[in-house]
Amino acid sequence: MSDIIAVLVEYIRSETGFTGPLSADDDLLSAGVLDSFNIVSLAMFAQERFGVELEGEDLVRDNLAKLSALAALIELRRAEQA
Amino acid sequence: MPASIPRYLLKTAQRLPEKVAIVSRERSVTFGDLLQEALATAQCLRELGLARGDRVGICMEKTVDQAVAILGVLFANGVVVPILPRLKGPNIRHIIDNSGMSAMITDTDRLSEVTEFAGVTRLITGHGPVTNEWPNLPYMRRFVQPLNSFDRIGNDNAAIIYSSGSTGRPKGILIAHRNLAEGADIVAEYLGTVEDDRIGCMLSFNFDYGMNQLWQTIRFGCTLILHELALPNDLFAMMARERVTALPVMPVFLTKMFDRRLKVDTSRFDFSSVRYVCSTGGRLSADMIADMRSAFPAAQIYSMFGLTEAFRGTYLPPDKLDAFPTSVGRAVPDCEVLVLDDKGDECAPNVVGELVQRGATLTKNYSTDPENTAKTFRQHSRFPGETLVFSGDKVYKDDNGFIYFVARADDMIKTKGFRVSPTEVETEVLRHPEVVEAVAFAVPNISVGEDVACAYTSSDGKPLAETVLKQFLKSQLPNHMVPAILLHFDSFPILGNAGKHDRKTIKQQSYDRLGIAPGVQGG
Repeated sequence: MSDIIAVLVEYIRSETGFTGPLSADDDLLSAGVLDSFNIVSLAMFAQERFGVELEGEDLVRDNLAKLSALAALIELRRAEQA
Repeated sequence: MPASIPRYLLKTAQRLPEKVAIVSRERSVTFGDLLQEALATAQCLRELGLARGDRVGICMEKTVDQAVAILGVLFANGVVVPILPRLKGPNIRHIIDNSGMSAMITDTDRLSEVTEFAGVTRLITGHGPVTNEWPNLPYMRRFVQPLNSFDRIGNDNAAIIYSSGSTGRPKGILIAHRNLAEGADIVAEYLGTVEDDRIGCMLSFNFDYGMNQLWQTIRFGCTLILHELALPNDLFAMMARERVTALPVMPVFLTKMFDRRLKVDTSRFDFSSVRYVCSTGGRLSADMIADMRSAFPAAQIYSMFGLTEAFRGTYLPPDKLDAFPTSVGRAVPDCEVLVLDDKGDECAPNVVGELVQRGATLTKNYSTDPENTAKTFRQHSRFPGETLVFSGDKVYKDDNGFIYFVARADDMIKTKGFRVSPTEVETEVLRHPEVVEAVAFAVPNISVGEDVACAYTSSDGKPLAETVLKQFLKSQLPNHMVPAILLHFDSFPILGNAGKHDRKTIKQQSYDRLGIAPGVQGG
């Protein structure tokens, strides 16, 4: 799971130019690291990069705004879809 | 009733003290409590030394506490100056200096962003935990005797809203109490706002459109449900749960709400409560209209238009949307919209002229800019003694009196619901050590209004790595100002012998390279 988080962190840094500390449990929307545009890009990137398909119900703030939650979801869906 | 928001709140809190006024993720507040918190905030501000007419910045996330701070400043006889959170240093500094700001109310967890201004203006926290350094309004409110008077009149200053202009820094538009109050009544008249309305508020209180939702709520005793749009499924779940009846949007929100990539199935939700969706800030595409109709079958769709100098100008009655889909409609109640030629005479139908507005929504002036005030806020011989707003925008009326937008007066880029000044974008692009010249302009993209594009030349004549340049700009600019499109030019065409960049040709050549047709503009 830490591998997934590392990949997501790298993506967010290149996408947003954010250089400050990023913790897996931060709400990145509240913190202003992500906005409503690049949180969608993050979801699209994660699906492609990790070869999983997320459904409409998965694509909600609770699953995407924290990297720990997103990584857990990716692992879950990857196991199901493998 | 004399027109001001504090008076409206006093009345509504008396009439409906127990009714829920604002709902948010963190907490809800009744009209009775909203009034008490606003009056207590006003007393806190008095005790902190705020004087009549002082300008108070409000740089906060959209919360109940932000609404309380805004109302507290109004009750304290102060002038609200909204500051968009996450603006970068120089932009905030300009607003502080230009408005002559006495104090800034912010969120505790935003202090790290704004402490650099602590020497320039006083800081007060309006939301979040107490700190050792700055006074905290939620804490102070517990110990004060709430103010119990409001002694301003409708003509007094209530707010200054900063709006980007195509040249120079954003201009502060000075708004009277009367404007805010009458704005609530005017909009409510054509939308049919009633006490039972439950308004889903994705909009920000930093702009007149979002503020107006709060004013209508206060005026008519509606309930306002605050929501930050990120993922559409969260919005739709909230709307169904809260039985939202009214949904004010901008086109860019519709793009996000109906983003196919997010696989939203709106048929899962019961939206029978939604009686209208209204939109302003750009054109509605046919797809957007179709998506709204399919998601909200019971809703009327209102397409509206306005400039901040006059808050709202026109709206298209929903039953005319199919017949006149590209029109911005007719004047809102208590306002008149004229189409004037160069001599100031009214244009015949289908002849393009300048949009000029008169009526109750007109703001006072650009607060520190007499030169531009004289250009925009002017008299007309047909209406002696009255000030009209000359927008500079080019429009025409058809044979039925419906108004159509032709071209904006300025080079402003309207993107994602923001007005972006090309000059401000160019200034930051030019800060990159390898950029020599820069020209920013709009590229049409109906999903966000327009994209910010910037053409540039470089010191070694080679294109910069796009990721490097974008990375640099992202550290300097708020996201909505970072160009989506960067185009390298070997050199820029020059206009005559004046040495000025031929912006028109640069834009045209860029459009050619991008393969887009020119002349497409939104309202």
